[in-house]
Amino acid sequence: MNRRTLHIAHLFPDLLNLYADRGNILTLTQRLRWRGFSVEVHEVTHRDVPRLSAYDLILLGGGSDREQGIVAEYLKGYKAELKAAIEDGLPVLAICGGYQLLGAYYQLPNGEKLPGLDILNMYTSAGVGLPRLIGNVAIETPDAGIVMGFENHGGRTVHEHEPLGKVLHGHGNDGASGFEGVRYHNVWGTYIHGPLLPKNPRLADVVLTTALQYAGVKEPLEPLDDELENQARQAFLKLRMPEVETSVPSL
Amino acid sequence: MFAIWAGKLVTLLLRMRGKDATSFPGKVALRISPKLLAWFGRRIERVIVVTGTNGKTTTTSLLASMIGHQEAIITNHKGANLAQGIATAFIQAASWTGKLRAKTAVLEVDEATFPTIAEALPIVVIVVTNIFRDQLDRYGELDTTVEKLFEAIRKTEACLVLNGDDPISRRLGLRSSRKTFYYGMARETARQDTRRQIRDGQFCLQCGHELRYDGFWYGQLGLYACPHCDFARPHPEFIGTYLGPTLRFSEEGLPDLTLDMPVEGLYNAYNVLAATAGARVVGLWSEHIHAGLANYVSPDGRMQSFQLDVPVKLNLIKNPTGCDSVVQAVTSDPAQKVVVIGINDLAADGKDVSWLWDADFEMLTDDPSIVRVITSGLRAHDMALRLKYGGLSSHVISVIADMDEALDAALSIASSQSLPIYILTTYTLLHPTVQTLTTKVGSHESTNVAYRTSVS
Ligand SMILES: [Zn+2]
Repeated sequence: MNRRTLHIAHLFPDLLNLYADRGNILTLTQRLRWRGFSVEVHEVTHRDVPRLSAYDLILLGGGSDREQGIVAEYLKGYKAELKAAIEDGLPVLAICGGYQLLGAYYQLPNGEKLPGLDILNMYTSAGVGLPRLIGNVAIETPDAGIVMGFENHGGRTVHEHEPLGKVLHGHGNDGASGFEGVRYHNVWGTYIHGPLLPKNPRLADVVLTTALQYAGVKEPLEPLDDELENQARQAFLKLRMPEVETSVPSL
Repeated sequence: MFAIWAGKLVTLLLRMRGKDATSFPGKVALRISPKLLAWFGRRIERVIVVTGTNGKTTTTSLLASMIGHQEAIITNHKGANLAQGIATAFIQAASWTGKLRAKTAVLEVDEATFPTIAEALPIVVIVVTNIFRDQLDRYGELDTTVEKLFEAIRKTEACLVLNGDDPISRRLGLRSSRKTFYYGMARETARQDTRRQIRDGQFCLQCGHELRYDGFWYGQLGLYACPHCDFARPHPEFIGTYLGPTLRFSEEGLPDLTLDMPVEGLYNAYNVLAATAGARVVGLWSEHIHAGLANYVSPDGRMQSFQLDVPVKLNLIKNPTGCDSVVQAVTSDPAQKVVVIGINDLAADGKDVSWLWDADFEMLTDDPSIVRVITSGLRAHDMALRLKYGGLSSHVISVIADMDEALDAALSIASSQSLPIYILTTYTLLHPTVQTLTTKVGSHESTNVAYRTSVS
């Protein structure tokens, strides 16, 4: 294969690895390898210095409140550089805690504000006495069809950007707005895990296409055999969110 | 009193229909009398609680077997560790007039349930097996589990028996400021790490710095110390040396005990160590400990054997670390084999199946002796996807959502080639699978001695 290597950075897998981010990394790398690309995954721990210019895609996962605070503190020094790279089109997939980190702050129930990266016009607050938003979730997205998975977050996120999608089942960003996640330049932010990508191969391919373009690879992705993925999607909807399955004729 | 009668009647009705009566009688009784547990609490002398993420069912059974050799005890069976399961255990040990037939109870208690029952019972000893990442949707996050345990401990006057090799348990001990006994494996038996596995609590829970490890046993269990503050593994009062078929148990001032391991594997060595440490704290002599181990009957789903045309072994899986131990045991059998993995996502299983991706199923996909993997249960497809992305060739994977059909398919493949079958299931698939296999054993013509039932 004459193709170049795609570089994926998994930021702080030692801190932010609460929601099976490994599943997202595996999905991205396997779907590239099955198409003949080579992939290098850089596990950037909190001891390493992130080299943003060397990455074609960044994955920022979820952690507990305590660990998120450590990450926010640690990332402070890279805030400006990361913001510039994102404005320049660096693809970032941010999930749960990683999604919250992109905003200005995360306010804990005791009122304390954990500062975020302040890259997006967004904030999250846990509220007082509010239940965690937990359960299966499905959303309708403009470029990746129905995206489904599981959500489990205490925080309510409010932002001024495009959402990732419209909630068909579940809570979404704040349990009230009817929207889930965020889309900004080449950033995807979402509360959906499960993990996110294995059962949403279209979204995985949208992310990969964007990352390849960012890396200077122009050719389109060849289709893969997604029979098992599609069966898994259908089975999941039929069993856990039947009203979504019947409302949408084709997945 | 009426609540006890109702519970007993329900038990009789369920048994007449051949149904499992480990939780439902207690549920009915608690609905009639929500204070039933406190009522029993005033009538029992002492309660020993086993809690933690992994191994609590095995540890409870081991400890119950040891103490039960000395005196009559009350215990909850088959991992029925919520309030209704505990109430059921008391109801079944009570006469129709409410008199209990034992003075001591050895109870397995779910971490999330623990605070609600802690003040109802006279708990004297709390044994914690370990604190790992478990069903996140039920507990919120790991930190919540630790908070639940603190909350429960504060409501009792119990002393603690903790796993010193586990930094999260160590933190629990430090913060609780109770009389605490630690158990741990012998220092020199720790390994340098080889596989990447999930490690919770690898950051100091006192100051946030990364913990330094000089060696591991499994998961986050190891020789840890914080380079930044005084947080470190304690020197354990009870030390285990795992030697395969036996565990050497050392305690200062007393001769070593050589304990026969009734169940295989390092994770079970920890269970034997935890139970023996608990037994010592309660004041048990070595003869009761040895006898308890010899009389121990493996609970459902812990390498439980069924002899059909081919040998079948059944294992419960419920979280990444526990699952890793099971998969490790499966792949350490060099024989060619058929594997069935049943995943449900009901409340008792955990509605979030993300943990499948944290578990090291690559041990399975790397194993050339796997002839076929059949995935089953409500989330059969998710499990199949996990294996596909883990690198297992798709012609080795079959998806059969119905568990009985999956078992039949596995038996037909395995029988034709005389291969053993390993079955891994989540909680709500376990008991139906035990029943199906028990029925199959019953109808199997050459019922033989290798099968030891644990269904009484
Ligand atoms: Zn420290």
